[in-house]
Formats: sequence, C-alpha cells, structure tokens
Amino acid sequence: MLKIIRFGYLIALFSIAALLWFLVVNTWPFWAEFGLSSLWLDEWFPYESLYGLLPALVGSAWVMMIAMFFALPCGLAAAIVGSELLSKPWQSTLRLSVEILAGIPSVVYGLIGLWILLPWLQNTFDLITGHSLLAAGLLLAMMILPTIMVMSLDALRFVPQEQREAAASLGLDWNTRLITVLLPQAWPGIRSGVLLALGRALGETMAVMLVVGSLDKMPSPIYNILEPAQTLTSRIGREMGEAAFGSMHFSALMANGLILAIISMLLSFMVLRQRKAAQR
Amino acid sequence: MKYIFLLGLSLCLSNYAYAERINIVGSTTVLPIVSQAAALYQQSHPDVQITVSGGGSGVGIASIIQGTSQIAMASRETTQEEQAQLKGKVENIIIAADAVAVAVSKAVFESGVHALSLAQIADIYKGKIRNWKSVGGVDAKILVIDKEASRGTRHVFAQAVLGSSHARAAGASLISGSNNEEQAIISRSNQAIGMLSNAWLNDSVRGIDVLVKGQAIGPTLQHVRDGSYPISRGLHILIPIHASQNAKDFVHFLSSKAGQNIVQQTGYLPVL
Amino acid sequence: MKILLWFLALPALLLPAFALLYIVYQALPALDWSLFVGTQDTKLHFGANQALWQQISGSLLMMLLACALASPIAMSIALFHQLLAGPRQKLFIHALLQVLQGIPPIVYGLCGLVLLVHLLHWGISLAAGAVILAIIILPLLSSNTIHALERIPDEQTESALALGLTPFQLLIRVWLPNAWSSMLTGLLLSMARALSETAPILFTATVFSGVVWPDSIFSPVTSLQTHIFYLAQEGYNQHAIDVAWASAVVLLGLVLSFSLCAFFLRRFEDH
Repeated sequence: MLKIIRFGYLIALFSIAALLWFLVVNTWPFWAEFGLSSLWLDEWFPYESLYGLLPALVGSAWVMMIAMFFALPCGLAAAIVGSELLSKPWQSTLRLSVEILAGIPSVVYGLIGLWILLPWLQNTFDLITGHSLLAAGLLLAMMILPTIMVMSLDALRFVPQEQREAAASLGLDWNTRLITVLLPQAWPGIRSGVLLALGRALGETMAVMLVVGSLDKMPSPIYNILEPAQTLTSRIGREMGEAAFGSMHFSALMANGLILAIISMLLSFMVLRQRKAAQR
Repeated sequence: MKYIFLLGLSLCLSNYAYAERINIVGSTTVLPIVSQAAALYQQSHPDVQITVSGGGSGVGIASIIQGTSQIAMASRETTQEEQAQLKGKVENIIIAADAVAVAVSKAVFESGVHALSLAQIADIYKGKIRNWKSVGGVDAKILVIDKEASRGTRHVFAQAVLGSSHARAAGASLISGSNNEEQAIISRSNQAIGMLSNAWLNDSVRGIDVLVKGQAIGPTLQHVRDGSYPISRGLHILIPIHASQNAKDFVHFLSSKAGQNIVQQTGYLPVL
Repeated sequence: MKILLWFLALPALLLPAFALLYIVYQALPALDWSLFVGTQDTKLHFGANQALWQQISGSLLMMLLACALASPIAMSIALFHQLLAGPRQKLFIHALLQVLQGIPPIVYGLCGLVLLVHLLHWGISLAAGAVILAIIILPLLSSNTIHALERIPDEQTESALALGLTPFQLLIRVWLPNAWSSMLTGLLLSMARALSETAPILFTATVFSGVVWPDSIFSPVTSLQTHIFYLAQEGYNQHAIDVAWASAVVLLGLVLSFSLCAFFLRRFEDH
C-alpha cells in the first residue's frame, strides 16, 4: 500500500517535471537564436524571422490592469455588502450566484463578448471595431470577479468576532470600523485573491482570443486601449495550430508559453509568501 | 484496480468499430466541400470514419508533413519550403476553383464603392489610404481586415495585391482567422474591407469589382473560368502517395461527378 | 459610504442572474429536441446541423477519462501527504500544488501538443485531450483531497492506528467513511473544471466534424466547448448563432450541475 502511494506520488512528480522540462527544451532554440532581446522588440512576423514579444506583453499587462480596475472595487464592495450588510439567507443566495458566475465556461464568456460587448463598445465609443484591449479587459473583469469576491468574503468572515465587538464598543461608527478594523484585518486574504485573479486574467485564452483582435502591434499611443491588440494567450491560441512542430515559430510560441508560466509562478509564489507571513 | 484499468485500456485500443479513420485538416475555404462530401461518402461507406477540421491551409500542409493527418486541404499553392519537404511524397489534386473576393460591408458598397484597382487595394492594405473618401465612398475610416499568416486566402490575396504571399500589411486594423469569422466581422461593420472566398459573399458582405486595365471585373465563377479575374486560385487536396486505399477512394470521390456536384452546390467552380 | 458600497456592488450582485437569463433567452430559438438528435436533412450533417449529442458525449467522455486518470494520482499525492511526508515535504507539496494550479491551462495544452501529439505520435486524439485535462485538474483535485483528509480529527486516526490497522484498512474503514463527501465535492469541482476548459483541447483533441462516436482513445473527438467556439465565429448565419447559444446553455447546464452539486454538498457538510 505504502509502496503504491509512493509510486503514485513519484509518477506525479516525474510527469510534472517532464512537462516543464519539455517546455524549456522546446523554447531553447528560440532563446539561443534571439536571446532575451526579443522581450523588448516590438515586431512579431514569423515569416521574416521577427519575434518581438513586447506587443503581446504590453497587451497582457493592459488587459490584466483593466480587468483589475473594474473587478477589484466591484468585487470588494460586493464582498463587504455580502458579509456585513446582508442577512443570512441573502448571504447564501449571493454565494450561490457567485458560484454560478464562476461556473460559466470561458468560451461562453467569449460568446457574450462577441455578441454584447463588441457591438456595445463599437457604438458607445464610435470605434471602427469593438475588438480592443478594453473589450478583453471588461470580459476578464467579469471572469475574475468571483475569485476576488469569494476570497474577500472569506477574509472578511475570518475577522475575529472580538475585534468587531471591541471596535463597536469603542463607539466607532460603521464606516470607521470598516476602514480601520475590518479591511486591514482582511487585507492579506484580499491580496491573495487579487493575485490569484491576476493569474487567471493572465492565463485566460478563449474569451480574450475572440474579442481582442489579435493585431500584433503596439497600442499607439501606449495608453490607447480602444484598438485591437494582442496578448500572450491570444497569440498562442491563434498560432498554435499553424506553426510546424520543430520550427523556430513553434519554438517562439513555446517561449510565449514559458513566459506565461513564469509570470504565473511568480504570482503563485507571492500568494505563498503571503500565506506563510499570515501564519506567523 | 490497476489491472482493471489496464484491461479497459487495452479494450479501448483493440476495439475498432471502423475499418479505418481518415483525418482531414486544413483550409476553411475547402472545408464545406469536404465536410459535405464526407457526410455523403460515409453513407455509402459506413466502415470508414472521416473527420474534418479547419485551421487553415498552412495547418493542413504542416499536418501532412508531420503525419498527424491523412489528407490536407489547401486553398493555395504550396510554398517552396513546403515543396522541399513534400517532394515526391505527396500528390496534389485540384478539386475546385474560386475567386478571392475583395469583400466590403454592405454600407460601403451602397455608398458607391463598386470597384477598386489592385493598386488602390494595395494602398489600403499598406496603410496609405485610410479613408473611404479617397476611393469614392463616404467620409469614414477603413476597417482593414487582415488574415492570420498561414491562411491560404491571405497567401493568394497578398500575392496578387501586395506582390508577395508573405508581404506585410501595415494598414491592417484587425486579424481574423476562418472565413466565417471574417464574414461575421465584415457583416457587422459599416466600413470594413477584407478578403473572402466568393462562396462567402452575401447580401451584407459584398464583393467589389477589381479594375484590370480600366475594366471592372467581378469575383464571379464566370470570370474565374475565363481567367480574367486577377485573384483566383485552385482549391487543393494533398494526399501522400502511400496513402491507404480508402483515403485514395475518398479523393477520387471528390473528383467524381457526385463530388463535383457538391463543389457546385457550395458555390465553387467545379474542375470536371 | 454604505450607499456607495451598494452602488459598487450592484454589478456583481446582478451580473450572474443577468448573464444566465441572457444566455437562456438567446438560446430559446434553437432549444428543442432536434438540436440534440439532429435534423432529418441528411445533406448537411456538420457545423450547426450536427446532432448535439455527439458533442455532449465527446465532452463528457473526455471529462470522465481525465477524472479517471487524475483521481488515483491525486489520491496518492494526498495519501503521501498524510502518511509519509515530513513537515518539509508537506510544505513542498502545498507549494507545488499552488504553483501548478496557477499555471495557465493553455501552457499545459502547449506541452501536451509537443509531448503527446507530436513526440508520442498520438495525433489529435481523445487520449491527448484527456491526459492534458487530467494534468490541469490534478492540482485542484489533489488539494481538495488533502483538505478532505485533513478535516478528519486526529484522534480518530490515532486510535485506529493504535488498534493496529494497516494504512490500507485505515483508508477504507476510517478515512473514506469520514471524508467521502468532501472528496466527492472536490471531484465534482474538478469535473466542472475539466468540462469548461476549451483552449488546451482545441488543438490537441478535437476536430470540426465527422466523429459520431470515438471508436478508440486515439480517435479525435468533437466537444461542446470547441463546437461553441467554431459556431461563435459564424456571425452571419443566424441558425449557427442560435445553435451556439443553445450549446452554451447545454454546456452551462452540465458545468453548473456539477459545481452546484459540489456547492450544496459542501453546505450539507458544514451543517
């Protein structure tokens, strides 16, 4: 029995290691040929051996920021309302509805984006096309909202009852209690939620791919989020099938994947450090 | 427990319900023909399973080179690099022909843009012309839709318009994938221009004429047949020389009378 | 302040119901029996006219295979964590699972494409999709199983060990009866997850049409997720769009039936 367990565990470790090893090995030709300088080159055109990663990096950063800009206030407010202002039955209704929102598959979000968001953006901002970083960001905001909300709800719920009572007995009003006691106490949990949500926004493919426009160009000017652009994931999604296995193009796409993996690992490590600090 | 699993696995492996499976991958332009032909073919050959999927000509040819599919669909000639890898191993059969139409939104067409010269189209794609006003339309920016680099339609279009199949289109404002996706974007916009197979044209996605030596020539099958339309092409099927008999039979079916009927029904020019 | 909070929270509170209603509303034109079994028109048996049960069975089959692959491995990770791991190894396992869970699914898809489809010559196949999905759900499933086992009071385990039970007996007699419901919750959540992933299987497991029933695990499949993706792009064809929304409703229904089961099961446990 114990042998089998150990065997299964080792298999798991081995396959994970193999997977990551394949990721690194397959990107090697790319790094060897172009090196890290491709990170700040801004032209991606495989047929002319141009593999600048900057536009996709900037695009990914933008969609993450936009998503967080909308999702954080909204999700946090909903969590505060949910844990502090709603009565018990309504709380569980809220929990259920968040569960539903979290359960909508990303390709369905893509459908919603294509059919509601794009025409709406096109009309509201009078654009020639709704495909844009903003569209992707808004869609992602919907997708990461449940993560932020659930994590914040849990964090707020775990603020000890004594602390609340102590603050109330000091005669602090509700607003002050929220800002000076509740939020600081719940902050580590909320921050973990934000980091996890960022990871999700970074790695989301289908929905982003359908609405972002996939144009490999730096936004010009750089804060222009109303134009089509490219993210790391949408590029992989668009070109994964077309690149011949073993070619430089394929290797470059794997490099995109490796960058995604590294950034998401960094985010995970930040969550872990946070947890460790919280446990002390 | 493990043995049961292994047993199940071996059952899965050994239990072939079909005599053979043929995977067909490639151009979304050729896809409607092959999908319909496959559905029809399977009715008379229930023992052969034919799966069809898109991805683009480049994907199809790559999959033949890599051996992940049995038949590839391509809506362009193979490039020199591809030929070097395919040489002597693959048979290339043309099953139909079509025109790559310069497709515009209905509103653009109705505002008076009925024909453009190749030079004008090239300027639009190079970013030198950015407003429909410059080519006889209303004052509206042009939504220039480019396609993913591996798409056959893009190769043919870029070859004819920009001079090289991999030429860059600096004026592009959007990249689309399949014909369906591009058709959807053009039909929902009022100021778009794109490249589409003539079979995808309809009321809200109009094909405009191309000016050749002052003469306006529309993307019709008639003009493809007489060779006057400048952006036309053959639709190819690639099959390895050592392919199985079933795969060869299916390709024969595509070139037969019944197959060519499907070609006609889907809006392409039969070669028979 | 409270008013501001309510105002900010409003989208989050209304969005789920709105999204759900909108999806169902859009799907209504195409939601009928012929959607599932296909129409009589034999000429057009692909794309929007494909009988949806093929996609449904493809998705479910892939999900089940992925769970069947991931469960034993997740179980052994959890048991290793409980029975054999020292404190440092426990920390390592937690960190590893957290990191793996953070890696985007498309990255696993890329790795799977290289290793399974190309290097092992499995081709675009059910097996490749199932393995990739299994790896994607593995961290979630393992950490849920670990949590389920950790919830068992230590005294129970200790008294069982004092009685001289072997680890196997301990698992069967003490842990499983105590923790089955939270394990099931974890499994249901993983199933929902496996069912909603699209990008990693798009290039590794699915084709556009032609599969009625995969005859071997090395046969490609059609799946509900990718079906929606293909149809979503057929913007001009109103029927295709209706079918896309209807497929979305079906997929959503399947995913929610798993995740809500898990939700209520957890609620039931907490009481």
